Amino acid sequence: MAEEKTYKKPLPEVRPETKPYWDACKKHELLIPKSKETGELFFYPRAMSPGDDMSEDIEWVKSGGKGKVWTFSVHHMGPSKAYKGDPPHVVALVEMDEGVKMMTNIVDCDPHDVQIGMEVEVVFDDVTDEITLPKFKPVK
Amino acid sequence: MATNFPGIEEARDILKKNKIVVAGVGETEQGKIPDKSSFHFLSQASKLAIEDAGIKKSDVDGLVTAFSLVEHTFMHCTTFADYFGMRPSFFSSVAVGGATAVWMVAEAAMAIASGQAEVVLCVRGDNTLSGISSSGMVALIREMCHPEFEYPYGLTTPGGYALAAQRYMHEYNATSEQLASVAVTMRKHAAMKENAMSKDPLTVEDVLNSRIIAEPLHKYDCSVISDGGAAFIITTEKKAQELGIQNPPAYLWGMGEGYSHQYLTSLESLDQIYNAINHSGTKAFQTAGIDPKDVDLAYLYDCFTITVLLELEGLGLVPKGQAGVFAQEGRLEIGKDLPVNTHGGLLSQAHLGAMHHVIEAALQLRGDAGDRQVDDAEVALVHGNGGIVSAHSSIVLGKQPLS
Repeated sequence: MAEEKTYKKPLPEVRPETKPYWDACKKHELLIPKSKETGELFFYPRAMSPGDDMSEDIEWVKSGGKGKVWTFSVHHMGPSKAYKGDPPHVVALVEMDEGVKMMTNIVDCDPHDVQIGMEVEVVFDDVTDEITLPKFKPVK
Repeated sequence: MATNFPGIEEARDILKKNKIVVAGVGETEQGKIPDKSSFHFLSQASKLAIEDAGIKKSDVDGLVTAFSLVEHTFMHCTTFADYFGMRPSFFSSVAVGGATAVWMVAEAAMAIASGQAEVVLCVRGDNTLSGISSSGMVALIREMCHPEFEYPYGLTTPGGYALAAQRYMHEYNATSEQLASVAVTMRKHAAMKENAMSKDPLTVEDVLNSRIIAEPLHKYDCSVISDGGAAFIITTEKKAQELGIQNPPAYLWGMGEGYSHQYLTSLESLDQIYNAINHSGTKAFQTAGIDPKDVDLAYLYDCFTITVLLELEGLGLVPKGQAGVFAQEGRLEIGKDLPVNTHGGLLSQAHLGAMHHVIEAALQLRGDAGDRQVDDAEVALVHGNGGIVSAHSSIVLGKQPLS
């Protein structure tokens, strides 16, 4: 719990329909929601498939955790005071091998080594006792 | 894109029959003005627009406002109606971010065409620079990205545009110099606008040497933040004549919206953004019965330099991937191929959504743009963009009635 107090950066506000996602992250598993009716994967998680099916019959598929950087930006400023004094952080949109895109951070590398098309894989950052953020690092 | 939209002919007939016009405009001082509230700016701008039209406040029977980033109201239009002392028969708050101001014109036109009002005051004002709290700023940033799946990664609003810029530069080999040249042109234009916030000359080098906010965007790739108010009056040609309004009218020729995504996570490709911009513009162009090449003046939402390039290309004003070079060659300047934001835009004049874009288009068409006046300007396009190049709105204004 001590950790929770020291982490000042924004945390996700978990909704009923996204709880399975965050529960899995805590177990270091990345899940992607899928409409059972059409078999289509989608992201971000919602209670209803955004397709024409409007299905609420959602199943969670385990992701292989690999993808490519679709675009990125080295941020020299964060969105809140908690980022003050931090080194620049890389915000990226990663296109997963499963086809969906995820907003994330690219970590474990020099921010200026990041390129569009770079192959990346998921790493799990346990930022608090309750929340684990999936982030990505370059595939060596 | 050769889409044929249903209802275009009907929309054209409605605009032809009603002859909707911008009949009066008002702008307060813009910049850092710490001693005025949001509602004070709204009132001042409204008064200026009413006076510019030469009518009485009681002649106004419709009110369209937007929102405030400082004064959080649940019913913005009626809160302002009370403050300003009016009892409109039609009222509406438009809240589609940067797409708002352009859509206010459409909202007013639709209200008039359906008999809800005859003279509609559209107004925005805010003390964004002086009045916003740090928690208010955080709330605004949070609003622009997904609170659960984007915000925890430290995405900012400039960062969202930076993500679009990085991808654009990757796909079309565009350069930071090309982006910077958009800011340079806006600054040149702002130097001729009385109430512009930033008038000091700016070079491409100045932009590239300014602080990096979110790569590849520098400080001067980002718009100003300002305090101020702006308003315009929408009515019909007939009603304007009845009220004895002397201003030459700017006629509404067409309008359209286009939507891509709210969150960048939902973006499939850069083309999805282009298609949304194109949908918005093409609807307006088709209703107006014109092609992009007929546009004499373009007022493009310029929250960031990248936004202008995406809009120029999405609207079909410049071929895809060529807007950077077009900007770099100075072709967006007054006197060149396609003058853009002759008032200096959000990058240099003031940031009140596209309110000033609409006003400048009307001033140019009525021949009241002073040193900035573009000769023989007959057709102006105004384009608004809300979110992270998400929600788009376009109008075409003409010097003559739609024929």
